Parts: sequence; structure tokens; C-alpha cells
Amino acid sequence: MPSLLPQTVDRAAARTPLHEAVRCDGRALTYSELAERSGRLAATLAAQGVRRGDRVGIHAGKGLAATVAMYGIMKAGAAYVPLDPSSPPARQALVLRDCGIRHLVSEPARHRALTELLQEGVPVESVVGTDGELSDGVRACSWNDVASHPVAVVDPGLTEADLAYVLYTSGSTGTPKGVMHSHRSALAFARAAAETYGFTRDDRLSNHAPLHFDLSTLDYFCAALVGATTVVIPDAHTRVPASLAALIEAERLTVLYTVPLALTHLVLHGAIDKRDLGPLRWVLFGGEPFPRKYLRALMSALPGARFSNVYGPTEVNGVTYYVLPHDLSESDEPIPIGLPYPGVDIVIVGEDGEPVADGEPGELLVRTPTMMLGYWGRHDLDARAFETRRLGHDSDVFVRTGDLVRRRADGLLVFLGRKDRQVKIRGYRIELDEVETALLAHEAVETAAAFALPCAEGSWRMEAAVTLRAPGVVGPDELRAHLTRRLPRYAVPDRLVVLHQMPRTATGKIDRQQLIQQAEHPAGIQADA
Amino acid sequence: MRERLARYIAEALLDPSARTENGIAADEDLLGSGLLDSLGVMSLVFFIEQEVGMDIPAEDVTIENFQTLDAIEAYLARRQAPE
Repeated sequence: MPSLLPQTVDRAAARTPLHEAVRCDGRALTYSELAERSGRLAATLAAQGVRRGDRVGIHAGKGLAATVAMYGIMKAGAAYVPLDPSSPPARQALVLRDCGIRHLVSEPARHRALTELLQEGVPVESVVGTDGELSDGVRACSWNDVASHPVAVVDPGLTEADLAYVLYTSGSTGTPKGVMHSHRSALAFARAAAETYGFTRDDRLSNHAPLHFDLSTLDYFCAALVGATTVVIPDAHTRVPASLAALIEAERLTVLYTVPLALTHLVLHGAIDKRDLGPLRWVLFGGEPFPRKYLRALMSALPGARFSNVYGPTEVNGVTYYVLPHDLSESDEPIPIGLPYPGVDIVIVGEDGEPVADGEPGELLVRTPTMMLGYWGRHDLDARAFETRRLGHDSDVFVRTGDLVRRRADGLLVFLGRKDRQVKIRGYRIELDEVETALLAHEAVETAAAFALPCAEGSWRMEAAVTLRAPGVVGPDELRAHLTRRLPRYAVPDRLVVLHQMPRTATGKIDRQQLIQQAEHPAGIQADA
Repeated sequence: MRERLARYIAEALLDPSARTENGIAADEDLLGSGLLDSLGVMSLVFFIEQEVGMDIPAEDVTIENFQTLDAIEAYLARRQAPE
């Protein structure tokens, strides 16, 4: 049995060398090609000085090159760290510095973005997969160099406890934090999901999410584990529902995994009644609640598919799931997040840390083989996230999810919301505190409040209100531009208003409830911009 | 029409930081580059329907028809041409 992620690729290459491992935009790599190319990349990286335990950044959009990068980096003994291509260079640089990333794998199409990133004063020593010169002191080598690099078996001596990848998510202090996963936690999740959904090598799994988003790990790791094919959905298709529907049909996808909003758009605007999506047998969704009315519409449009709501913060991979019944009741209750995967223990605790009575809300704690190693370089956060609890006659480590849940009378778990001020919008985690910190970084801003409110189609939108040190010195457009330079695009508020005065509660705190009410009834807003 | 589309995209849909003095080129990729997200595409379709006074069926909102300003113009010309 493979104990390391790249071994799953090599095993599939030995069993079904000519079976396609990954497809994107009509191009494909067989398992044999993926195994060979990732092996040559590993040898190239080793020659550049990459060693066991190093972190190597992936500076490439999802696609064939990025897939080779993931496995090549891990074969070299390092952990891959996907950079968010849509986030500004300054934020990517923050990740490079935080994680001590000295090596990058890139692609020629992103040469300009790479040059901009390297100007941010980052500790990068070498870039593999780029054409042309880089700034002084940074070694460059092309994909052609990789292809002609002699095949040498790199054996970094990894065990399953070694670091496999680091995913950066929003942090409450304005600094993103890196969630570290081992080969063991990733494979435990891939095995649980592959067994639950009965994936086989004949499956064709979508990759809709970007690589820095933890949904992507199921798309790749489950597929390689069973020798199936991952079909990368190009970014343009993720923005145009009718083209996404055409791709699902043309690629004969059997498994589609994405966020509810994308599925809502697919059923409302994808013209799926004109498509033959018969091969689609599993639709998996997670990241935020799926409104029943759109889920019901999608289920009746895809009568041959089964649907599963999957739940789990990045820190623990997937931990619970709920396979929907064929006829979804008319109620407005949220879709449950279901039951834990086999091997996952849960406990729901109240403010006092003790288990709540059945049916009462509380924070979900989980003990699972899929849990993270911790946060990169942040033992302070580890101390808050991990908790050793008694378990029968023994004790073991649980992860505090920070999510509030409730157990229904039928035993199924229901997600109620975040314990802190983190929100999920279109599947992305956003710390409202981070948005406020970024707003307050502008010299003209006196106070700032970011808040989320429900919008049509069951998703959330985020808005922010600020007051200024002096009236009229800056407008919403300039503040948006300021945020765009600091935050990923999805963390920039959908609307920003400048107020004369921030509403306050009796105790002097910013009254966010009033801000939300004002935003829902804009006539009441006293804006001066 | 192209100017009106370009102005609408630049003023209503783009991040301020993505606006440039030269505006949006006729052959600039609106989709793959991330200039528009899925909600932006919906808004653009709605805007065109209002401007041109025709319904755009969902199956016509494809990458081929909406990737660039040129493509949108060609699509609208096909729709408006007599059968």
C-alpha cells in the first residue's frame, strides 16, 4: 500500500501506464508520462539544492505543468505550496517569506507575473520551468532542461509523517497562515473519500478549484490513488456556466466537485437540459451551505447522479459527509453535514469545554487521521487549535474546528456558523478582521468594519464601512484599489461605504448588526461619498 | 456598441486597480485572465440584453461568444443579421 502521495502515481503508472492521469484543454498526460516527468523534475530540483522538508512554491495556474510540479516537488522530498495566481505579488511574497520558500516551479506563460514577484524582495534562489533571464542571483531553468535532465532516482528517505503540502488561508492578524499536511493525512482523506464514493480507475474527476484551495486535494489524490483521470477545468470555464456544462458533457465527467455557488450558476445559466450529462454519477459540494431550492433543481436536472455535502476545514481535510436522499424535502432547513467518515471521532463542546447535551449547539472538535500537522511556524496557533482530550481510558489530540454545529435527533450534524469572525464567501475563507486590518492600513482610514450579509442565490457578500480621519480625503474607489494591492480578489468587499460616524453599541463597540441592517436597507445609510 | 461595452466593463465590473488608461482592447481575454468572474459575466449579459433589447439564451453565453469584445460584437451581429 502506498504510504506517500507520489507512490500512488508510480503505482498507477506500473499498472496502467497508458491510462490518462490528467487532462486540460484537450491535452493529456498518461500515468507513465506523469510518473516520468515528475521524476525528472524531482531530479532537477534535487540538483538545484532542494532537500527533504524544504518547501517549493508552485507559481503556475492549474493544468498539466502544475500537476507535474505537485508530484515532482513531493518526489524530491519537499512540500508543495501553491501560490494564488489571482492574488497581488505583495501577498504572494508574504507567503514566500513566511514559508521560507527558496525554490519555485513555474511556467513560461507566467513569466511577467514571475518577474513582478521576484521584484518584491523574496528569498527565491532558483526557478524551474521558466524561459528567459531572471533578476540577478536567481537561477532559471526551463521545462526543456527538465525534460533532458537524466532520470535519477531521488530517494529523500521520506516517511508518511513528512510534510507533503502547505495551504495558505486567511489569518486573523492580517497575515495568512500555512496549514501543513503530511502524506499520511492526505492519503487518509483520499482513501476515506475513494471508499465512500466507490471511485475506480474508470472515473473522471473534475478539478474545478484552484490548487491553493483544499477542494483540489480530493480531485488529484483520490484520482491517483485509484488510477482515475483528473480533468482540469480551465479558469474561463469556471466563469461561464454554459461552457462548463459543455465541458462536463464533452469530457464525460463522472465526478464533479465544487462550491454550491458554481453549481447554482450551472443549474440556472448552464442550459444543462440541452446536454447529455448521463455519465455524471457523483456531485460533491462543500465550502458553504447550498440553498435547497437550487440543489433541488440541480438534482431533478441530473436524475442519474448522487449528491453529497462534504464538510471539513482545511485543517482536517474532509471529516463528515452527507449523501442526499433522492427526493429532497420541501423544508427550508439547511442541508446537514451528515456523519463522520469511518475512523473520525467527534465531540461537540460548549463554552466550558464540556460536551453539550444532545441537540444543543456547540463547537465541533474532531480527532481524525486526516488532521494537519499544524500551522507553519505558528506554535501559538497550534496551541489554540489542538486539544488533548480524554477518550475512553486513553487520551488523544483533537482539532478545534471553530465551527458551531448541532446534532439532530436523527444523529446527523448540522452546521450553524463560525465561532469567530471568519466567513466563507463563494467557498473562500475570509477573516473579516483581516479585511479590517487591511483597510486600517490606509493612512486616511480612522475606523473600519467588515461584515457579511446573505444575498440572492443563498451565498454571502461582504461589505465594509469606514470612517475617515478627515472628510473627503479618500473615496471608495481608492480604498478598493488599496485593498486590491493587499488582499486576494475574493477578500475585497463587494461594496464599501464611507460613513460620517460608525454606529456603536451601548458599550462602545462597533455595532455590526446595525451596519448589516443599514446595508440591507440602503436608504438608511448616511454616506458622504 | 463596443465602446459602450468597454465602458460598462471598465466602470461597473472591473476592480479599480485593473483599469488602465487604454481601456480594454478588442481582443483582450475577458475570461481566462480573470478580468470578469462568473457574477461579472452574468452582469455583462444582463447589460447587453438591456442595451440591445434582445434575449440572450443561456446556451449562447459561451466562452466562444464572450471571450473578447470582438467575439461579443460578432455574436450580436450574427443574431441581428436577417435569416
